[in-house]
Amino acid sequence: MPSNKPSAKNRTRAVEARFKVGDRVRVKDLPNLFYSRTQMYVRGAVGTIAALTYQDVLPEDEAFNRDGRLEQYYIVRFRQKDLWPEYPFENDSLQTESPERWLEPVDS
Amino acid sequence: MSHTHSPGDGGGDHPAAPMVEEITDFEVLEIAVRELAIEHGLFTAEDHRRFTEWAESIGPAAGSRLVAKAWTDPAFKKRLLEDAVKACKEIGIDWAEPTGFGTPSDYMNLRVLEDTPTLHHVIVCTLCSCYPRPLLGMSPEWYRTTNYRRRLVRWPRQVLAEFGLILPPEVEIRVEDSNQKCRFMVLPMRPEGTENWTEEQLAAIVTRDCMIGVALPRPGRTADVHPVQKARRPVQRS
Amino acid sequence: MSDKDDVERGPFQLLEALRNQDKTWKTLAPRYGVTNPNPPWKTSLTAMCDCLVANGVLPLLDWRRAEDELGETVYRDVPAPERQLLALVHVMLSRGLVSETDLAQRMRAVRARLEAV
Repeated sequence: MPSNKPSAKNRTRAVEARFKVGDRVRVKDLPNLFYSRTQMYVRGAVGTIAALTYQDVLPEDEAFNRDGRLEQYYIVRFRQKDLWPEYPFENDSLQTESPERWLEPVDS
Repeated sequence: MSHTHSPGDGGGDHPAAPMVEEITDFEVLEIAVRELAIEHGLFTAEDHRRFTEWAESIGPAAGSRLVAKAWTDPAFKKRLLEDAVKACKEIGIDWAEPTGFGTPSDYMNLRVLEDTPTLHHVIVCTLCSCYPRPLLGMSPEWYRTTNYRRRLVRWPRQVLAEFGLILPPEVEIRVEDSNQKCRFMVLPMRPEGTENWTEEQLAAIVTRDCMIGVALPRPGRTADVHPVQKARRPVQRS
Repeated sequence: MSDKDDVERGPFQLLEALRNQDKTWKTLAPRYGVTNPNPPWKTSLTAMCDCLVANGVLPLLDWRRAEDELGETVYRDVPAPERQLLALVHVMLSRGLVSETDLAQRMRAVRARLEAV
């Protein structure tokens, strides 16, 4: 089965991660060219880096079989209240995964 | 009892299991489209056989064993939380199956989410239906519904209540949306009343729903019970 | 091809005929006293989807999106897994991976084979 190779396998150089665990980040609100796995409900929201996961090519590139650039992926944690203003429970949270290019630093 | 064997009776004392004794167009369609796909070179019969074999070999029992081992072996739990794919190998689950690099929807990134007295995890994939198949088998139908996927991120407590799980407000509910290549599984808390249980006993109460996070394990509950259709025309022994 | 085409092409007569049949597993299983919740071909269907995605024939996200959309519109009243099968074939027909004529012909041939005595 030829095309199911892990996309990072044949691409050599690892990239340096821009963020570390605990950093505050905002999800950019980029236009949706073709398609993206970055969900609308987190666009523009501010969260915290919860983990660095792996390096891979962007799904936006992969979907069109272009030779993608490696990119660091993160798990970002949001307070539910920051996603849905009327959310009634103070402590509840949501985590989702995001490639680096969708994130920008937030000065605290 | 007659000495001739009817098809399927196996000659034993058990009556043949009932079967749907008609060939539906759905069954015919599935075969026809698969044959054409193979003839057109979209995949090979061997590819298909391999994926079928794999699909039939997986189920939530692997996840249950993993949780039971983590509950009884703190060193294993530590390894599991650090590198879940590697720890899976210790219980015989290889995320590289069946292709050597995982399946198209089970990439080789797994993270186990540990519940605590103040934190409860629940998993969803809002994008499609990503699911840790090597550990939990095929996802249940409800996990793939847009109802669950859309509402869990926004009204998690409401959705959990519909599963009969009501948690106090001081417990943080953390929804994990597996919308990229990581797959997630919940490591629930070991319930009281299971002291001195064996791994096997413990595994029996770690049902699929507990590892998705829509239920909590408890002594005595050993299956995700859903209503079962009663046979209207049960087979009679002749 | 955009995923819009996956959904908007059709209706396909062949699939419409099946959609309107009350021959899903949900109906038939209790009639025959069968308790297995899934028809025997379900795993084969899952494997077929895996194969198409693994070989790059059908991008996973396109397929899931089309399955969602078709499942909520055209095939809304069909239970799973028949709904999934109809959605998959719908997408394959839309993309020209198989033709409706070939498929109809092959279905006749398969049925003849299965019913041969």
